[in-house]
Amino acid sequence: MAQAGKGKLNYRCPSCFLRDLDIDMFYDKDKKEYYCIRCQYTGSEEDVQEKNQLARFRYRSMLKRYSMEDFEKFED
Amino acid sequence: MEEFIVNIIHRPEMVPEYAEKVTGHGKAEDIGRKALLTESLDIFKTQQEAAHINGLKTTIQMTYASLFNDEAVELAKEHHEKYGDEISLTLLGLPCEEFRAKYKTKDFCIWMFDMETKKSIVDDVFGKFYERFGFYPESTGSYYMDADLTNYIKEKYPSVKCAVATCWEEGPKAYHTCNNSWYTLMDGGPWAPWIPSKQNTHAPAANEAEDSGIVAIPHLSRDLIACYDGNGSNFGTHPQNVLRGMIYKAGEFDAEGNYSGQEYPYLYNLIDQYRYQAKFNNGYAYNMMFVGPGWMNKMGRWEAPYELLRQSYFDGCAYYGQLKKEGKLKDMTMAEFADYYRQKKSYTEPECALWRDILYGSDKQLFWYCDPFMRACVNMNQGGAIVDLRPYVSKLEWKVGIGTDHVQEAGYPFLIQEKYRAGYFTHYAGEGTVRSAKLCYNGEEVDLCQCRTHAHFEEANGERKLILDPVDIEFYDLTVKLQTVIAFPEGGSDIRIERHILEMSNPDAEVSINEYMVACYGITEYPEDMTCITLNAAKDGKNEELQYAYKCRECNVEGADEVSALIPPIHTKVSMTCDNAATGYYREGYAFSPMFTLGYTGAIKDKEVFSTWLKLEKAN
Repeated sequence: MAQAGKGKLNYRCPSCFLRDLDIDMFYDKDKKEYYCIRCQYTGSEEDVQEKNQLARFRYRSMLKRYSMEDFEKFED
Repeated sequence: MEEFIVNIIHRPEMVPEYAEKVTGHGKAEDIGRKALLTESLDIFKTQQEAAHINGLKTTIQMTYASLFNDEAVELAKEHHEKYGDEISLTLLGLPCEEFRAKYKTKDFCIWMFDMETKKSIVDDVFGKFYERFGFYPESTGSYYMDADLTNYIKEKYPSVKCAVATCWEEGPKAYHTCNNSWYTLMDGGPWAPWIPSKQNTHAPAANEAEDSGIVAIPHLSRDLIACYDGNGSNFGTHPQNVLRGMIYKAGEFDAEGNYSGQEYPYLYNLIDQYRYQAKFNNGYAYNMMFVGPGWMNKMGRWEAPYELLRQSYFDGCAYYGQLKKEGKLKDMTMAEFADYYRQKKSYTEPECALWRDILYGSDKQLFWYCDPFMRACVNMNQGGAIVDLRPYVSKLEWKVGIGTDHVQEAGYPFLIQEKYRAGYFTHYAGEGTVRSAKLCYNGEEVDLCQCRTHAHFEEANGERKLILDPVDIEFYDLTVKLQTVIAFPEGGSDIRIERHILEMSNPDAEVSINEYMVACYGITEYPEDMTCITLNAAKDGKNEELQYAYKCRECNVEGADEVSALIPPIHTKVSMTCDNAATGYYREGYAFSPMFTLGYTGAIKDKEVFSTWLKLEKAN
């Protein structure tokens, strides 16, 4: 098995990202999968993208645009 | 008239910190590689274009490496003439063949060198700058500028009046995010511009004698909630930081290879919430954008293709440009800003920020306060508890770099830090650092940390006041409506906390109140030796002292004038006093809870106010 390299983009491990770790993954071209060198995550490019979307669960206001009037306005 | 100032800073970094690792993957290291140098300069040109087409002037911070590049030097001169950009000099971007040949090291962070090498590098870099431009710069910077470094630069090159001097809350959290490989351990500083003291960069000068002679600006304007809790490099006025945090909706390539459809409203919300801070700072607010070339790498960065990296930078500049066109923003160079700041601010005027969550969809709100005597964070999600406290009053001389006791650790020590030393919640035993209060009635106890609320800001009679919305405390057969007011007198080193009982379901009831502060000292996540601490309860000139020995002891003194802790390693004395009749106490911690507690217990009835003070003093 040949050594791994970087993929076309330096995808980070989505599992580590969820615990505030930026770990670039390597790409195994024989298995056609990315893998994390720190944890046990492996996945295809599609799976990485899907899991990255999952990582955004905490950003509930990610696409909300606040106005200047909103900064001291609360629901209760 | 409210003024929102932006500094946009670019650096032609011929060997970007990240680019070599990314583009060079699979190749042996070669920092003189022509492709790398060409790409780096191209990125700088792109950034300059993004600012200029949006009508914004920049500060061009020449790196040491770029001073050896004729094209970079000529570009800086041309843009200075054409757009009014300032030609400045950064101490970032040291790595290049010339630097490595002379200093024979791969170190690149100026604050980590030994003092003699710092001086030598500064003289080299400033000398080379003079050789290329015929004058010395008015501004400089790095991720962190330690006080000795700044003092040396100011003495030797007095034209310098502004410097990028710290990255806000970049410390153990950023270190962790980089798999413990990024050594910018420098949290505990101001988030907005300040005048650093000669003794410690983080601690603002209280007067002319302490004035280092420069105006410091933070490296980026960072989210005051998200960065406090998470990785600093995801949540700042840096479009690619926002991409790194995955805080965007990705666009798509069309058949012709054009990229569109991307959305990152968070970046604009962040800029706007900084604009909003003018309300709490006498009509002034500030932003800084500083993107190193490595973030716009042609190979793409993190999950983002180059097209998105590039477009996000143009979009960021376009938003600042739009604000400028609408008369809502002034773009300045760093040197211009230093003059503006000196005219606008006095030494003791604090910087205040009332900051809400704009990312996670909560209603969480923090208040940050910074002056020459302290930095404090009040958490409205915990009933107005103080969850971070840095005693700037001690103006701690804290040398950093090789040959000192702190090679990398450049943060300003805390007394309270809810992330590194727990806060209200602890897992099993003991207590975490926090300044809060507990109300007790008939055997029931409620901590105000359990009472979520919000606050508004007032400034009157020389005080900045945080007025919290009242909260209801429900006991089995009594409901108490309580309002907290937290006052920061300007020029003092103390905080007054008042608890107003607005209403009780039984007007004749009396509840006991315990105003407390759990504290320790440190700059990172791990505990320090506490045996140097002396606890004291003073009354009528008599002292009940205790030398800390992890023995879980305590002392109560009815009518105590003051309870205090003396912490020699950080030259600080912290104390509490009470305006009401009350019993002062201190508690020693133990090995599994290496903290100390200071506090006052008393009784309070309907319509009464219980008022205590927290005071910080320098103690050698």
